[in-house]
Amino acid sequence: MIGNFLDQFWSLTFGGLSLGFIYILIALGYTMVYGVLRMINFANSEIFMVGTFATIIVVRDVFKFTQASEPATGFRLVLILATALIFSMLVSGVLSMLVEIVAYRRLRRMNSGVLAPLISAIGVSMVLAESVRILTDSRPVASPRAMEKKFIGQFFDAGIRIDNTIIVISALILFAALMTFVNRTRMGKAIRAVSMNPNAARLMGINIDGVVSATFLVGGLMTGAAGFFYVLKYENTASNIGFELGIAAFTAAILGGIGNIKGAFYGGLALGLLETYASFFLGTQWKAVTVFVVLVLILYTRPNGLFGEALTQTRA
Amino acid sequence: MKKRGLISVAAAAALAAASLVAIAPASNAAAKTITLAFQGPLTGEEASVGQDELAGMLYAVKLFNAKNKGKYVVKVVQADDQGDPAQSAKVAPGIASNKKIIGLVGAAYSGATIAALPYYKQTLLPMISPSATRVSITNPAAEGGAMGVPVFHRVPPTDKVQGPSLFKLATKGVSSPKVFVVDDQSAYGVGLVDYMKPSIPAGQSAGFDSVSDKTTDWSATISKIKTAAANVVIYTGYFPQAAPFFKQLRDSGYTGILAGGDGVLSPSFVTLAPASVLEGVRLTAGTVPLAEISAKLEADFKKQMGKASGVYAAESIDATNVFLSCVAKGVSTREAMLKCVKAYSGKSLTGSTIKFDAYGDVAGGVMNGFEVKGGVIKFTGPVK
Repeated sequence: MIGNFLDQFWSLTFGGLSLGFIYILIALGYTMVYGVLRMINFANSEIFMVGTFATIIVVRDVFKFTQASEPATGFRLVLILATALIFSMLVSGVLSMLVEIVAYRRLRRMNSGVLAPLISAIGVSMVLAESVRILTDSRPVASPRAMEKKFIGQFFDAGIRIDNTIIVISALILFAALMTFVNRTRMGKAIRAVSMNPNAARLMGINIDGVVSATFLVGGLMTGAAGFFYVLKYENTASNIGFELGIAAFTAAILGGIGNIKGAFYGGLALGLLETYASFFLGTQWKAVTVFVVLVLILYTRPNGLFGEALTQTRA
Repeated sequence: MKKRGLISVAAAAALAAASLVAIAPASNAAAKTITLAFQGPLTGEEASVGQDELAGMLYAVKLFNAKNKGKYVVKVVQADDQGDPAQSAKVAPGIASNKKIIGLVGAAYSGATIAALPYYKQTLLPMISPSATRVSITNPAAEGGAMGVPVFHRVPPTDKVQGPSLFKLATKGVSSPKVFVVDDQSAYGVGLVDYMKPSIPAGQSAGFDSVSDKTTDWSATISKIKTAAANVVIYTGYFPQAAPFFKQLRDSGYTGILAGGDGVLSPSFVTLAPASVLEGVRLTAGTVPLAEISAKLEADFKKQMGKASGVYAAESIDATNVFLSCVAKGVSTREAMLKCVKAYSGKSLTGSTIKFDAYGDVAGGVMNGFEVKGGVIKFTGPVK
């Protein structure tokens, strides 16, 4: 078994890494909102699901790909991928903002406490999932192949595939951009201020609604990007995929320390790799069990996750 | 999963209410109203299977009602079991106690069928399933005898026939097959593997894996397949998982044979992966897609139902037609319906004979082979 594992180590690792980066981006959606509002935005899983559909709409309906089409190359390929990425990010970002305005804002103004928005979040999540289920007739939907899945290199025994490479590099760029936004811009500073102390922030003249909207927008943009990468890697989606991926990303956020951007990064990576290795060693049926056993063990020693709570700690 | 359960109950209630209104045509004083029922997963994860079968049943009923205008009006009551035995045990008592219902097409799944059987046996409600293929339901050698007798009947051949046929088809023409079998942990998938195992010759097995039907990333299974150097991979599960699995396997550089059972055979299967990836995938099923029977039939189905036919559409139509032929003979009670179904002998859409044996099976079930060619599932004839 160990010998087999070593044979497959690098190909498992590459697969786990690209999955991990998808988790990171979704986890950011949870963690950003938690950092600012101390609230779990359960609708984030469905915002991801809608993002996957946005990508498929671009590839299938805008660029007219079918399962029989030849994959695109060169400039056209870049154009398609960029359009799909940006469209998915925008759709998810705007949807995330709308969800906040419709489902949470009034509750927040009325000081409803933590439980009402939680139920509201689960409600929104159901509405989104069921609407898409009805629209898609409960069927899985596939994305036609726009990019040929070529091997672009070899690392020990493992082939390095182009889609995994694009995911890892683009996700790293997006993550760096998010860190810069939170740490270097005026809005980022305002987000950190509200996260630290909302009352003091309001007294300093910060527009709380604006900050909350921006947080949901940024979280949604990242989650939408995850939707694009998911479709790039797996080339299909369904109205019910949000649940599974959402739980995984939420676990990643907790693992790293929810509310902490760096925590989401390491939590996502750890989870992606752990799931892949555990599936190989113990069989795929033990994946979830292994992940949660590890999570519980980590929380025993570090109850706030690997990197502790709060967005504020991301200051370098 | 509680949240999905809740929605489904609400959705099921709405659906049931809507369907009753929608299906009943303008009332006609002279026409006799007959009520049949459908049971299968109409909401939840497996909804597409049930919705496809229901569409087959409604199609048959629609044709019948149009043909017998003024004489009969057949209504369909929908029971949503979500493909889940626990849910089935909840909806079955209601169907069983509704004496207006004189025949049930379903249940779609074997587990749900077994959970509902006690209620239907008690009230003698005749059942004809288009797709419950678990062997034990009609097996007199099973503990306690065939549990489905006397009310259960089914149109398709059982997994006992399919398991060995699938192995035979998958390894056809391969000089030294090393077969890796992956199931989806469902009763269907695991059962199919159990019936396949005795037919695998020594030295031809490369290994087995059992993977949840909620899996999206198959890299661990793929690593196992590569380690075992398999050249034939058989998946016993359903098409929504088969397509991404085959796709990821091919993308990893696997060049051997891919095969699957009737759970994979669906017109939707080929829309879920590029044609080049699915080229040559071998499938078995007791069913034949409507389009394969005749393009005209499929076109008419699409026109009448507003969507393409799914897997088991032909079996659902066949099952419904057995009941409808009895209705046309004037049957209007459960007792008379059961007697009529037992005595039924007629042709299926494909032209084979439907006649149930003492345990409810159709004799001489044949497994058909299929192959994906150029993005289309092509019928390749019976598996020999």
